[in-house]
Amino acid sequence: MNPTEIIRAIQENIARVIKGKPQVIEMSLVALLARGHLLLEDVPGVGKTTLAHSLARSLDCTFKRIQFTSDLLPSDIVGVSIFNRQKQAFEFMPGPIFANVVLADEINRTTPKTQSSLLEAMSEAQISFDNKTYPLNQPFMVIATQNPAEYHGTFPLPESQLDRFLMRLRIGYPTQEEEKKVLDRPQSLHPAEELQPLLTAHDVLLLQEQVDHVLMEESITDYLLAIVHSTRQSDLLSLGVSTRGALALSRAAKALSLVRGRTYCLPDDIKELAPIVLSHRIMVARAQGMSQRSFEQAEQIIQDLVDSIPVPV
Amino acid sequence: MPFDQALRFASIWLASTSFIGLALGADLPEWLAALTGTALIVALLLNRGGKAVERLTTVTSISNTGWNLLAIIGFLGFWVDMLWVSGELLPAGIHFLMILMIIKLFNLKLRRDYLHLYAISLVTILASGSLTTDLWYLHIFLLYLLAGVWTLLLFQLTKDPEETGNLTMLVIRRPRLSASASHVTPQLFWLANGLALVTFGLTLVIFFTIPRVSTGFYQKSLGGNIRTSGFSETVNLGEIGPIKRDPSVVMRVELPDSSRHEVGRIYLRGVAFDQYDGKAWTNRLNDRRAVSEDATGMFVLRGSRSPAPPRLGETVRQNILLEPLDTPVLFAAPFIERVSGKFPSVQSDLTGSVYLPFPSSSRIEYSVLSRSNPVLPADRGSEPSLYPESFTRHFLQIPARSERIAVLAEEITHAQHTTYDKANAIQSFLTHNFQYSLDAPLTEQDQPLEEFLFTRKTGYCEHYATAMVMMLRTIGIPARLVTGFLATEWNEYGNYYVVRQQDAHAWVEVHLPHSGWITMDPTPPSIESVGSGFSAWHALGRMMDTIRLQWSRFFVQYSAADQLAVVRELKAGGTSARNKALDSMSALFTPFMAMFGGITEYTSKGTIQSLAELLILSLISLAVLLWLGIKRPWVKGMICQKTAHDEQLIVQLYERMISHLARKGISKPVATPPLEFVRLTRERWRDAGSAVGSITELYCRTRFGQISPTREELSLAEDHFRYLMALDKR
Repeated sequence: MNPTEIIRAIQENIARVIKGKPQVIEMSLVALLARGHLLLEDVPGVGKTTLAHSLARSLDCTFKRIQFTSDLLPSDIVGVSIFNRQKQAFEFMPGPIFANVVLADEINRTTPKTQSSLLEAMSEAQISFDNKTYPLNQPFMVIATQNPAEYHGTFPLPESQLDRFLMRLRIGYPTQEEEKKVLDRPQSLHPAEELQPLLTAHDVLLLQEQVDHVLMEESITDYLLAIVHSTRQSDLLSLGVSTRGALALSRAAKALSLVRGRTYCLPDDIKELAPIVLSHRIMVARAQGMSQRSFEQAEQIIQDLVDSIPVPV
Repeated sequence: MPFDQALRFASIWLASTSFIGLALGADLPEWLAALTGTALIVALLLNRGGKAVERLTTVTSISNTGWNLLAIIGFLGFWVDMLWVSGELLPAGIHFLMILMIIKLFNLKLRRDYLHLYAISLVTILASGSLTTDLWYLHIFLLYLLAGVWTLLLFQLTKDPEETGNLTMLVIRRPRLSASASHVTPQLFWLANGLALVTFGLTLVIFFTIPRVSTGFYQKSLGGNIRTSGFSETVNLGEIGPIKRDPSVVMRVELPDSSRHEVGRIYLRGVAFDQYDGKAWTNRLNDRRAVSEDATGMFVLRGSRSPAPPRLGETVRQNILLEPLDTPVLFAAPFIERVSGKFPSVQSDLTGSVYLPFPSSSRIEYSVLSRSNPVLPADRGSEPSLYPESFTRHFLQIPARSERIAVLAEEITHAQHTTYDKANAIQSFLTHNFQYSLDAPLTEQDQPLEEFLFTRKTGYCEHYATAMVMMLRTIGIPARLVTGFLATEWNEYGNYYVVRQQDAHAWVEVHLPHSGWITMDPTPPSIESVGSGFSAWHALGRMMDTIRLQWSRFFVQYSAADQLAVVRELKAGGTSARNKALDSMSALFTPFMAMFGGITEYTSKGTIQSLAELLILSLISLAVLLWLGIKRPWVKGMICQKTAHDEQLIVQLYERMISHLARKGISKPVATPPLEFVRLTRERWRDAGSAVGSITELYCRTRFGQISPTREELSLAEDHFRYLMALDKR
């Protein structure tokens, strides 16, 4: 089966559970194939967990869910050493992070200390505990969610840590028709449970490798950099996109091309991804009179910037 | 060369040609000419770039306000110039124009500035055209035309599709096409030059067919008339001498009916003089009367007081192109019968000389029918006879009777019996016994004639002629002195005589009882004129003179009458071509021929209407050519065409599709990527969606995926494009 068909099959698979959100499904696959992590920022109950669950189920991968609370400790994520009486030694009991797909629910509810332990694992793809290094499972993908509506008792992620997520997505409410389909479904079983895995973890790794071979033509690289530079020079932003951001956009674009069945990037890919990949990596200038966190505003600024940059012909 | 630089270069070139035209045509002050010239050179250098130039840039960088201030100062200067310095609108305007050109040359930033520079250049070349009639203008004009086509083409090509309605945008911007495309390629080079040639051809067509309204607004005498001597009311003896070294051309004479071999040399009669006071000749019979005009516009001379026996001599037809002289005399071979030309009236006096009412300030052309006066057989045997008193008073007048001259005349003629023989004897005596020399300063003498005859024995035409007239008169034969030109220099390229100042001549007319006035010339015929050498240099000179004459004839002096002649000739040519074609072609082409015949017939009416139609036709074809040259996508294709590489082909096809869609009202914003544009097109023009989609897909794959398209895909894409072209929007 060629990669395009596999990917299409996965998309259809997940779409059986997540109704009416093909773009979100596509982007979560992009994040997976680009070896990136996904930050879902939306109100509770729109399917964040279901999305993560479905993805994991379709891939024949292990799935763990961590509900972040203010009293969660790093060891609750990473794991703990427990004294084994028989062996007379401490033994490392791996935490929930040792899975292929990890859902970090309400990541902004926990303390920075715990947050950073997760984020460290995300960027290093390994855990250091008691002077020992434990590699994480591959593929490894974190899907974090956060609730933008509540601020009390939250610890917003700093920009430096938001940078670790490849993209930030909103799911949004489904249309009435789609919502009806959801309600008509038999409620006895979690919908994700009935999904059949289509890919092994090994297949996912192969697909991830294919992403590296997607061609990005020089003029498109220039176009991408022009967008990144424009964020650094914009008066509306106090912080532009970092080099890691540029790298993330490039990887995401390649992955999107693969998802769409191409072996080369198009300017369209870059343009479409820019608001999703870049908007959480910038800081809106205070002069804009809005909260720093305003997701929509950041997205809008990126969109406006992209709309002004000439596309290579 | 990149387009931006090429445009700059072409614009400066345009300005330069118009400036050179003006500098050659008008009297620019030296400082202004030098300043503008320097500015043009500096602008050219700035365009070339380089280190030294960057230093220059810093020197010449003046703020916008500074330039505006300069323009205002220039405008004030214009008023000062017009009111006090030059005192006229035209020169002051030209000076101001130069200042404006300098200012614009250093301010070529916006596209608007380029347009301003073009407008200034246009006005400049027009001014220079109205200020000159010389041949060099043709070259300048050709250069200007070439530069003009180049600039307009480049101006169009550098234009951004997004820019419509926004002229203030900077010219220097990110190259829109790929780097190889925005260079001047050989194809573009030849296309532009070809267009220039076509434009020039059309200019000629328009020039020859557009109806003339007036003879030009600025027409005035330039450089003044040529000073002549010998044709005024009074001519001092020896006055002609000094001009005998002046080689400037006075007129050109064409003999339409006879070849040079028949003619040899030709006398061009100017003025006749009857009274001699010992030092100067005067024309007392200068009572000028208007010559009546016959039905065909010819001025017919008749009623001259000289006895006119039936004239039997040969007629000579001459077409004369007379330079502006300071005398109103019309020169022609003796004796004038009919004159026609573009002047309202002609006068003649009693000696048969013909005048304009006043000296012409421009070159004039006229044709003359002359009839020579042969010596009748009756005069060869007749004795001297008596003349009426009025006749003898004029033509037998002698200042103070000189015995020595009378004795000499008697001595020479005593053996002869008839008037004609006596005159001949005196003529041959003078011809053979005196030496021709221009170095004969017969100055300040009481009796220059006696000095010539008895002491010095050298002189030139005037002396010979005066001596002959005086000797004839002392023995009772009426005679008069005639001044004019003796044409000897034949131009074999144009088949005409070139008459120069140095051909000025004086000779004698003797009255015979039966034949009337006949021409006699006592001056030895050994006048070797300067231009009669046969060296290659002189031949070249004559050839140049011919070209100059044709220029003057067909461009400067071109008039409505000539236009009609051209149309008539075209018609004749058209008719003969049609006849020939009809003879040789089969009936297959009959409908077409009938149409063609209809057109020629229509043209043959020679009305303004047909001229206007021709004009409109040529204008339409010009517009079509321009549209083809500038708007058609294949020109752009031609520019990009580097190699017939498949990748380039599909990219070109895509660009053509984009511009085609833009013409259909779906323009592609710069920031719209290809697939998004496909969606946009689909929304706005459903039928085109699939074609656009497939072309875009192939383009994306080739351009960004670097996957070469196959032949089939290419031809499929071309089919799609053709389908798109044929598709009518909504």
